[in-house]
Amino acid sequence: MRYLAILFLLLVSSCMKEPLYHSQSYVFGTLVDISIYGETEERAQLLVNQVLQDFQNLHNRLHAWKPISSGKPSELYQLNAAFEQGKSSQISPDLAAMLADATQLSQQSAGLFNPAIGNLISTWGFQRDEFSAVNIDAEQISALVKDHPQMTDIVLKGNRIYSTNPAVKLDLGGYAKGYALDLAAHYLRQQHVKNALINIGGNIIAIGQHGNQPWRVGIQHPRQPNAIATLDLPDGWAIGTSGDYQRYFMYGGKRYCHIIDPRTGYPVSHTQAVTVLVPPSDHAGVLSDVASKPIFIQTPDNRSKAAQAFAIQHFMVIDAKSTILVSKQLAQQLHWVDAGVKFSIIP
Amino acid sequence: MQVLNFPSSPKSLNAKLVAQYLLLGDWLVILASLVCVWYLFHELWSNEHATSVQIRLGNKIYASYSLNQQREVHVHGQLGEAVISISQGKARFAKSPCTSQYCVHQGWLTRAGQVAICLPNQISLELLGEAKTYDTLNY
Repeated sequence: MRYLAILFLLLVSSCMKEPLYHSQSYVFGTLVDISIYGETEERAQLLVNQVLQDFQNLHNRLHAWKPISSGKPSELYQLNAAFEQGKSSQISPDLAAMLADATQLSQQSAGLFNPAIGNLISTWGFQRDEFSAVNIDAEQISALVKDHPQMTDIVLKGNRIYSTNPAVKLDLGGYAKGYALDLAAHYLRQQHVKNALINIGGNIIAIGQHGNQPWRVGIQHPRQPNAIATLDLPDGWAIGTSGDYQRYFMYGGKRYCHIIDPRTGYPVSHTQAVTVLVPPSDHAGVLSDVASKPIFIQTPDNRSKAAQAFAIQHFMVIDAKSTILVSKQLAQQLHWVDAGVKFSIIP
Repeated sequence: MQVLNFPSSPKSLNAKLVAQYLLLGDWLVILASLVCVWYLFHELWSNEHATSVQIRLGNKIYASYSLNQQREVHVHGQLGEAVISISQGKARFAKSPCTSQYCVHQGWLTRAGQVAICLPNQISLELLGEAKTYDTLNY
């Protein structure tokens, strides 16, 4: 009789639908994937719609090359035009805060994270919805590097802003997704959502957990259509990857990815992917987006130094030869999909 | 012909007695069936075994198809028609109107949890199985 009761309970529990709401949408020029656990479907849907609307607004304002509608350039586009003409302009307080923050992060990374190199990114053809091989103009590239656009060229006084260097062209492609993650996490917590997982174009932040177990995240293999490893993402943690496999073009048998070394003006070719795991803070999303870039760009000997600049302890590098290097702290958290995988611990 | 003299009460039919009457062939049959059960369990109950492919178009689930078939699915995305092939437990983008062709280059998806996304055409494929190995993918 007791066994029958247990069996009955098991049957009932397996019939009950898990209170998980899952949504996938194309916003921000990428795929946004949001899971909410433990809310009614109606409420979860309303919350997700609000988050998506906020993302769309942010996207429209920060888009580096596309106007919101014909003849209506984005706030960032107008700002870049003013920089180029040496004019001062007024910006909204949240954009001012974002730029101040990005400037500080750029300095922290010794200029390897540099959102001021929009002209270089554009020359390489990465300011388009789709990428195709471009004519590589070595002279133009070296001229753009010599112009030396830096975040510190920007002068902010209250909400008035100007650039001392007309070559500064902002592209927040390596910052905005992380910012949006923090924004969304803050909003959902404010709305008393206990459990959610937000994924914007591969950058992920966790709130609470998936029922009685932590949210589980797969890390994409840079050269295969499957995950290389999985890990549990605890409450408040964020994860981000910079890879050469999402935005790139092939030319003459060589891969040119969208991550450009601001010192040389050329795409980085010594690395396939860098993943960083970021502990909870009100800045975790931004850091998950920003902190992987300097590690990706830095020469192999200096990767650990680049990680230290943002106090990143959990990170993984997959280099151009597909060698996997993992920090000791991250290695303890990873579950490899292929049990026989070979990796080295970063000293 | 010899008549086997089984004990009258089944309760006294103990394991020793059963073993006595089993021949080598019987043991092989038992062994073979155990191996078979273990193999099927491993193949069908492991998390990685994919049973269907979910196709998403824009913000909506377009359709789900069993992987246990040979089929071509034509989907009209933002840019134009994409062709998705399903064949014996796997699925892939066979044709896409996008210029980068990353989605087509992803090749066959074979394990549950694998995804192929075509951002320009706003179509994605995800293989589904008994259990999800992860909630979302970091890339």
